[in-house]
Amino acid sequence: MPDWKQIVGKRLRVLGVCSPEFTEELAGHLEDSYEALLCQGLPAEAAFHRTMRQIEVHGKSWFVLRFLKEDLMTDFTRKVALPGLLTFASAMVIAWALDIAHIQPKTIFLTNGLFLSLPIAWLCLLPFCGAAGALVSRRNGGSWLQRIVASLFPSSIMGLVLLLIFVAGFAISRFVPDSGWNWALAAPGLALGLLTFTVLTAIPLLLGAGAAERVGKASSRTACNI
Amino acid sequence: MPSVSSQIKRGSAELAVLTLLAEHPLHGYEIAKQIESQTGGVLRFDMASLYPMLYRFERKNWVKAEWQTLLNGRRRRCYRLTASGRKQLAPLRAEWRAFFQALQSVTGFQNA
Repeated sequence: MPDWKQIVGKRLRVLGVCSPEFTEELAGHLEDSYEALLCQGLPAEAAFHRTMRQIEVHGKSWFVLRFLKEDLMTDFTRKVALPGLLTFASAMVIAWALDIAHIQPKTIFLTNGLFLSLPIAWLCLLPFCGAAGALVSRRNGGSWLQRIVASLFPSSIMGLVLLLIFVAGFAISRFVPDSGWNWALAAPGLALGLLTFTVLTAIPLLLGAGAAERVGKASSRTACNI
Repeated sequence: MPSVSSQIKRGSAELAVLTLLAEHPLHGYEIAKQIESQTGGVLRFDMASLYPMLYRFERKNWVKAEWQTLLNGRRRRCYRLTASGRKQLAPLRAEWRAFFQALQSVTGFQNA
Protein backbone atom coordinates (compact mmCIF):
# COMPACT_ATOMS: atom_id res chain seq x y z
CA MET A 1 0.00 0.00 0.00
CA PRO A 2 1.53 3.37 -1.00
CA ASP A 3 2.26 5.84 1.79
CA TRP A 4 -0.25 8.48 0.73
CA LYS A 5 0.60 10.86 3.54
CA GLN A 6 4.21 10.99 2.41
CA ILE A 7 3.22 11.37 -1.26
CA VAL A 8 0.81 14.24 -0.57
CA GLY A 9 3.23 15.92 1.83
CA LYS A 10 6.05 15.80 -0.72
CA ARG A 11 4.01 17.05 -3.65
CA LEU A 12 1.89 19.72 -2.07
CA ARG A 13 4.02 21.20 0.67
CA VAL A 14 4.29 24.59 -0.95
CA LEU A 15 3.82 28.04 0.57
CA GLY A 16 2.52 26.55 3.80
CA VAL A 17 -0.79 25.67 2.16
CA CYS A 18 -0.51 22.04 3.10
CA SER A 19 -0.74 21.76 6.89
CA PRO A 20 -0.17 18.34 8.47
CA GLU A 21 -3.91 18.08 9.10
CA PHE A 22 -4.75 18.88 5.49
CA THR A 23 -2.06 16.48 4.27
CA GLU A 24 -3.68 13.72 6.29
CA GLU A 25 -7.11 14.61 4.93
CA LEU A 26 -5.96 14.54 1.30
CA ALA A 27 -4.00 11.35 1.92
CA GLY A 28 -7.20 9.77 3.25
CA HIS A 29 -9.04 10.85 0.11
CA LEU A 30 -6.39 9.33 -2.14
CA GLU A 31 -6.29 6.17 -0.07
CA ASP A 32 -10.07 5.73 -0.46
CA SER A 33 -9.84 6.42 -4.21
CA TYR A 34 -7.04 3.90 -4.60
CA GLU A 35 -8.92 1.20 -2.72
CA ALA A 36 -12.10 1.84 -4.69
CA LEU A 37 -10.14 1.34 -7.91
CA LEU A 38 -8.61 -1.88 -6.57
CA CYS A 39 -12.10 -3.08 -5.69
CA GLN A 40 -13.16 -2.37 -9.27
CA GLY A 41 -10.51 -4.90 -10.30
CA LEU A 42 -7.76 -2.58 -11.48
CA PRO A 43 -4.18 -3.82 -11.02
CA ALA A 44 -2.29 -2.04 -8.25
CA GLU A 45 -0.04 -0.08 -10.60
CA ALA A 46 -2.89 1.19 -12.77
CA ALA A 47 -4.90 2.08 -9.67
CA PHE A 48 -1.92 3.98 -8.30
CA HIS A 49 -1.45 5.99 -11.50
CA ARG A 50 -5.13 6.81 -11.77
CA THR A 51 -5.21 7.94 -8.15
CA MET A 52 -2.14 10.08 -8.64
CA ARG A 53 -3.80 11.79 -11.59
CA GLN A 54 -6.10 13.50 -9.08
CA ILE A 55 -3.25 15.61 -7.79
CA GLU A 56 -1.19 15.64 -10.95
CA VAL A 57 -3.77 16.31 -13.63
CA HIS A 58 -3.78 20.06 -13.11
CA GLY A 59 -0.31 20.29 -11.63
CA LYS A 60 0.41 21.04 -8.02
CA SER A 61 0.78 24.76 -8.62
CA TRP A 62 -2.81 24.94 -9.86
CA PHE A 63 -3.93 23.11 -6.75
CA VAL A 64 -2.04 25.53 -4.53
CA LEU A 65 -3.32 28.52 -6.49
CA ARG A 66 -6.90 27.42 -5.94
CA PHE A 67 -6.26 27.48 -2.21
CA LEU A 68 -4.45 30.80 -2.34
CA LYS A 69 -7.30 32.30 -4.36
CA GLU A 70 -9.87 31.02 -1.88
CA ASP A 71 -7.74 32.39 0.92
CA LEU A 72 -7.29 35.77 -0.74
CA MET A 73 -10.92 36.23 -1.71
CA THR A 74 -12.36 35.44 1.72
CA ASP A 75 -13.70 38.68 3.21
CA PHE A 76 -11.72 40.55 0.56
CA THR A 77 -13.09 43.98 1.45
CA ARG A 78 -12.45 43.77 5.19
CA LYS A 79 -9.15 41.94 5.10
CA VAL A 80 -7.51 43.23 1.90
CA ALA A 81 -9.25 46.17 0.20
CA LEU A 82 -9.78 48.44 3.23
CA PRO A 83 -6.31 47.88 4.77
CA GLY A 84 -4.88 48.24 1.27
CA LEU A 85 -6.64 51.54 0.72
CA LEU A 86 -5.39 52.72 4.11
CA THR A 87 -1.84 51.84 3.04
CA PHE A 88 -2.31 53.67 -0.24
CA ALA A 89 -3.93 56.73 1.37
CA SER A 90 -1.20 57.03 4.01
CA ALA A 91 1.50 56.71 1.33
CA MET A 92 -0.16 59.48 -0.70
CA VAL A 93 -0.55 61.74 2.36
CA ILE A 94 3.17 61.32 3.14
CA ALA A 95 4.07 62.11 -0.49
CA TRP A 96 1.88 65.22 -0.34
CA ALA A 97 3.37 66.33 3.00
CA LEU A 98 6.90 65.90 1.65
CA ASP A 99 5.98 67.92 -1.39
CA ILE A 100 4.62 70.71 0.80
CA ALA A 101 7.83 70.60 2.83
CA HIS A 102 9.76 70.99 -0.45
CA ILE A 103 11.54 67.68 0.01
CA GLN A 104 12.01 66.80 -3.63
CA PRO A 105 12.89 63.42 -5.15
CA LYS A 106 16.50 62.94 -6.18
CA THR A 107 16.77 63.05 -9.94
CA ILE A 108 19.37 60.97 -11.73
CA PHE A 109 19.80 61.85 -15.38
CA LEU A 110 20.38 58.95 -17.75
CA THR A 111 21.18 58.85 -21.45
CA ASN A 112 18.71 59.80 -24.22
CA GLY A 113 16.93 62.37 -22.06
CA LEU A 114 15.67 59.72 -19.65
CA PHE A 115 15.86 60.32 -15.91
CA LEU A 116 15.22 58.37 -12.76
CA SER A 117 13.29 60.16 -10.06
CA LEU A 118 14.09 58.66 -6.65
CA PRO A 119 11.80 59.85 -3.83
CA ILE A 120 14.26 58.72 -1.16
CA ALA A 121 12.54 60.38 1.83
CA TRP A 122 9.19 58.92 0.76
CA LEU A 123 10.69 55.47 0.27
CA CYS A 124 12.21 55.68 3.77
CA LEU A 125 8.78 56.42 5.27
CA LEU A 126 6.89 53.76 3.30
CA PRO A 127 7.60 50.92 5.79
CA PHE A 128 5.20 52.66 8.21
CA CYS A 129 2.45 52.53 5.56
CA GLY A 130 3.13 48.86 4.81
CA ALA A 131 3.10 48.09 8.52
CA ALA A 132 -0.18 49.95 9.02
CA GLY A 133 -1.88 48.03 6.20
CA ALA A 134 -0.59 44.68 7.43
CA LEU A 135 -1.61 45.40 11.03
CA VAL A 136 -5.13 46.47 10.08
CA SER A 137 -5.50 43.39 7.88
CA ARG A 138 -4.22 41.23 10.74
CA ARG A 139 -6.63 42.86 13.17
CA ASN A 140 -9.48 42.07 10.77
CA GLY A 141 -8.39 38.44 10.74
CA GLY A 142 -6.45 38.53 7.46
CA SER A 143 -4.18 35.60 6.60
CA TRP A 144 -0.47 36.14 5.86
CA LEU A 145 -1.24 36.33 2.12
CA GLN A 146 -3.99 38.90 2.68
CA ARG A 147 -1.69 40.96 4.90
CA ILE A 148 1.03 41.01 2.23
CA VAL A 149 -1.43 41.95 -0.52
CA ALA A 150 -2.86 44.73 1.67
CA SER A 151 0.60 46.15 2.36
CA LEU A 152 1.54 46.02 -1.33
CA PHE A 153 -1.56 47.89 -2.45
CA PRO A 154 0.23 51.20 -3.27
CA SER A 155 2.80 49.41 -5.46
CA SER A 156 0.07 47.53 -7.29
CA ILE A 157 -2.04 50.63 -7.87
CA MET A 158 0.91 52.70 -9.10
CA GLY A 159 2.07 49.88 -11.36
CA LEU A 160 -1.42 49.55 -12.77
CA VAL A 161 -1.73 53.31 -13.36
CA LEU A 162 1.63 53.38 -15.17
CA LEU A 163 0.60 50.49 -17.39
CA LEU A 164 -2.74 52.15 -18.13
CA ILE A 165 -0.97 55.40 -19.08
CA PHE A 166 1.36 53.44 -21.35
CA VAL A 167 -1.49 51.56 -23.02
CA ALA A 168 -3.56 54.75 -23.38
CA GLY A 169 -0.57 56.60 -24.86
CA PHE A 170 0.03 53.80 -27.31
CA ALA A 171 -3.66 53.65 -28.26
CA ILE A 172 -3.79 57.40 -28.82
CA SER A 173 -0.67 57.22 -30.99
CA ARG A 174 -2.45 54.75 -33.29
CA PHE A 175 -5.28 57.17 -33.99
CA VAL A 176 -3.67 60.59 -33.68
CA PRO A 177 -0.99 61.32 -36.26
CA ASP A 178 2.08 63.13 -34.92
CA SER A 179 1.08 62.39 -31.34
CA GLY A 180 4.73 62.38 -30.34
CA TRP A 181 4.74 58.72 -29.30
CA ASN A 182 8.27 57.45 -29.31
CA TRP A 183 8.94 53.81 -28.53
CA ALA A 184 12.58 54.57 -27.77
CA LEU A 185 11.45 56.84 -24.93
CA ALA A 186 8.16 55.27 -23.92
CA ALA A 187 9.38 51.71 -23.30
CA PRO A 188 12.42 52.63 -21.13
CA GLY A 189 10.28 55.29 -19.46
CA LEU A 190 7.73 52.65 -18.51
CA ALA A 191 10.47 50.34 -17.28
CA LEU A 192 11.98 53.09 -15.14
CA GLY A 193 8.55 54.09 -13.82
CA LEU A 194 7.75 50.51 -12.91
CA LEU A 195 11.14 50.15 -11.26
CA THR A 196 10.72 53.29 -9.16
CA PHE A 197 7.03 53.17 -8.29
CA THR A 198 6.39 49.44 -8.20
CA VAL A 199 9.56 47.51 -7.43
CA LEU A 200 11.31 50.08 -5.26
CA THR A 201 8.14 50.91 -3.34
CA ALA A 202 7.34 47.23 -2.80
CA ILE A 203 10.58 46.67 -0.88
CA PRO A 204 9.98 49.17 1.99
CA LEU A 205 6.29 48.25 2.09
CA LEU A 206 7.21 44.59 2.52
CA LEU A 207 9.81 45.49 5.14
CA GLY A 208 7.11 47.34 7.05
CA ALA A 209 4.73 44.42 6.71
CA GLY A 210 7.46 42.10 7.98
CA ALA A 211 8.09 44.32 10.99
CA ALA A 212 4.35 44.49 11.68
CA GLU A 213 4.24 40.72 11.50
CA ARG A 214 6.90 40.44 14.19
CA VAL A 215 5.18 43.04 16.37
CA GLY A 216 1.84 41.26 15.89
CA LYS A 217 3.33 37.90 16.82
CA ALA A 218 5.11 39.33 19.84
CA SER A 219 1.96 41.06 21.09
CA SER A 220 -0.13 37.91 20.63
CA ARG A 221 2.50 35.95 22.59
CA THR A 222 2.34 38.56 25.35
CA ALA A 223 -1.45 38.33 25.34
CA CYS A 224 -1.18 34.54 25.70
CA ASN A 225 1.25 34.89 28.60
CA ILE A 226 -1.11 37.25 30.38
CA MET B 1 -22.89 11.94 -21.44
CA PRO B 2 -23.23 15.73 -21.74
CA SER B 3 -20.57 17.65 -19.89
CA VAL B 4 -21.42 20.62 -17.72
CA SER B 5 -19.46 23.82 -18.05
CA SER B 6 -17.23 24.70 -15.11
CA GLN B 7 -19.17 27.88 -14.32
CA ILE B 8 -22.45 26.02 -13.90
CA LYS B 9 -20.62 23.40 -11.86
CA ARG B 10 -19.12 26.00 -9.59
CA GLY B 11 -22.47 27.61 -8.98
CA SER B 12 -24.19 24.33 -8.24
CA ALA B 13 -21.37 22.93 -6.11
CA GLU B 14 -22.36 24.80 -2.98
CA LEU B 15 -25.94 23.61 -3.23
CA ALA B 16 -24.94 20.00 -3.94
CA VAL B 17 -22.45 19.76 -1.08
CA LEU B 18 -24.62 21.52 1.48
CA THR B 19 -27.62 19.37 0.51
CA LEU B 20 -25.62 16.17 0.96
CA LEU B 21 -24.28 17.31 4.30
CA ALA B 22 -27.78 18.24 5.45
CA GLU B 23 -28.64 14.53 5.31
CA HIS B 24 -25.68 13.23 7.29
CA PRO B 25 -22.02 14.00 8.01
CA LEU B 26 -19.59 12.87 5.32
CA HIS B 27 -15.89 13.06 4.65
CA GLY B 28 -14.42 14.58 1.49
CA TYR B 29 -14.12 11.38 -0.54
CA GLU B 30 -17.69 10.36 0.31
CA ILE B 31 -18.99 13.78 -0.73
CA ALA B 32 -17.21 13.55 -4.10
CA LYS B 33 -18.36 9.96 -4.68
CA GLN B 34 -21.97 10.59 -3.71
CA ILE B 35 -22.26 13.62 -5.96
CA GLU B 36 -20.74 11.68 -8.83
CA SER B 37 -22.95 8.64 -8.38
CA GLN B 38 -26.17 10.55 -7.69
CA THR B 39 -25.72 12.70 -10.80
CA GLY B 40 -24.65 9.78 -12.99
CA GLY B 41 -21.21 11.31 -13.38
CA VAL B 42 -22.47 14.63 -14.78
CA LEU B 43 -21.24 16.51 -11.73
CA ARG B 44 -17.78 15.49 -10.66
CA PHE B 45 -15.61 17.42 -8.22
CA ASP B 46 -11.91 16.93 -8.21
CA MET B 47 -9.91 17.42 -5.04
CA ALA B 48 -8.73 20.87 -6.07
CA SER B 49 -12.32 22.08 -6.32
CA LEU B 50 -13.81 20.22 -3.40
CA TYR B 51 -11.40 20.92 -0.56
CA PRO B 52 -10.97 24.69 -1.03
CA MET B 53 -14.78 24.87 -1.00
CA LEU B 54 -15.11 22.74 2.13
CA TYR B 55 -12.48 24.85 3.87
CA ARG B 56 -14.34 28.00 2.84
CA PHE B 57 -17.56 26.58 4.27
CA GLU B 58 -15.69 25.79 7.46
CA ARG B 59 -14.37 29.33 7.73
CA LYS B 60 -17.87 30.66 7.22
CA ASN B 61 -19.05 28.29 9.93
CA TRP B 62 -21.50 26.58 7.56
CA VAL B 63 -19.90 23.22 8.27
CA LYS B 64 -17.93 21.81 11.17
CA ALA B 65 -15.20 19.29 10.56
CA GLU B 66 -14.23 16.62 13.06
CA TRP B 67 -11.74 13.80 12.90
CA GLN B 68 -13.44 10.45 13.27
CA THR B 69 -11.94 7.01 13.48
CA LEU B 70 -13.68 4.59 11.14
CA LEU B 71 -14.31 0.92 11.84
CA ASN B 72 -11.15 0.00 9.92
CA GLY B 73 -9.15 2.22 12.28
CA ARG B 74 -8.50 4.98 9.73
CA ARG B 75 -9.01 8.60 10.57
CA ARG B 76 -11.17 10.71 8.31
CA ARG B 77 -12.20 14.35 8.63
CA CYS B 78 -15.99 14.36 8.56
CA TYR B 79 -17.99 17.45 7.75
CA ARG B 80 -21.38 18.12 9.22
CA LEU B 81 -23.73 20.99 8.51
CA THR B 82 -24.05 23.55 11.28
CA ALA B 83 -27.18 25.49 12.14
CA SER B 84 -25.71 28.43 10.23
CA GLY B 85 -25.13 26.22 7.18
CA ARG B 86 -28.67 24.92 7.38
CA LYS B 87 -29.92 28.51 7.38
CA GLN B 88 -27.81 29.15 4.30
CA LEU B 89 -29.18 26.14 2.47
CA ALA B 90 -32.85 27.19 2.45
CA PRO B 91 -32.41 30.44 0.46
CA LEU B 92 -29.86 28.73 -1.79
CA ARG B 93 -32.40 26.04 -2.66
CA ALA B 94 -35.10 28.64 -3.25
CA GLU B 95 -32.74 30.60 -5.50
CA TRP B 96 -31.88 27.57 -7.63
CA ARG B 97 -35.52 26.47 -7.79
CA ALA B 98 -36.49 29.91 -9.06
CA PHE B 99 -33.61 29.79 -11.54
CA PHE B 100 -34.66 26.40 -12.94
CA GLN B 101 -38.30 27.43 -13.15
CA ALA B 102 -37.31 30.57 -15.01
CA LEU B 103 -35.11 28.56 -17.35
CA GLN B 104 -37.86 26.02 -17.86
CA SER B 105 -40.37 28.68 -18.81
CA VAL B 106 -37.97 30.11 -21.40
CA THR B 107 -36.57 26.94 -22.90
CA GLY B 108 -39.50 24.57 -22.38
CA PHE B 109 -37.23 22.00 -20.74
CA GLN B 110 -39.04 19.53 -18.54
CA ASN B 111 -37.73 17.56 -15.62
CA ALA B 112 -36.98 13.95 -16.55
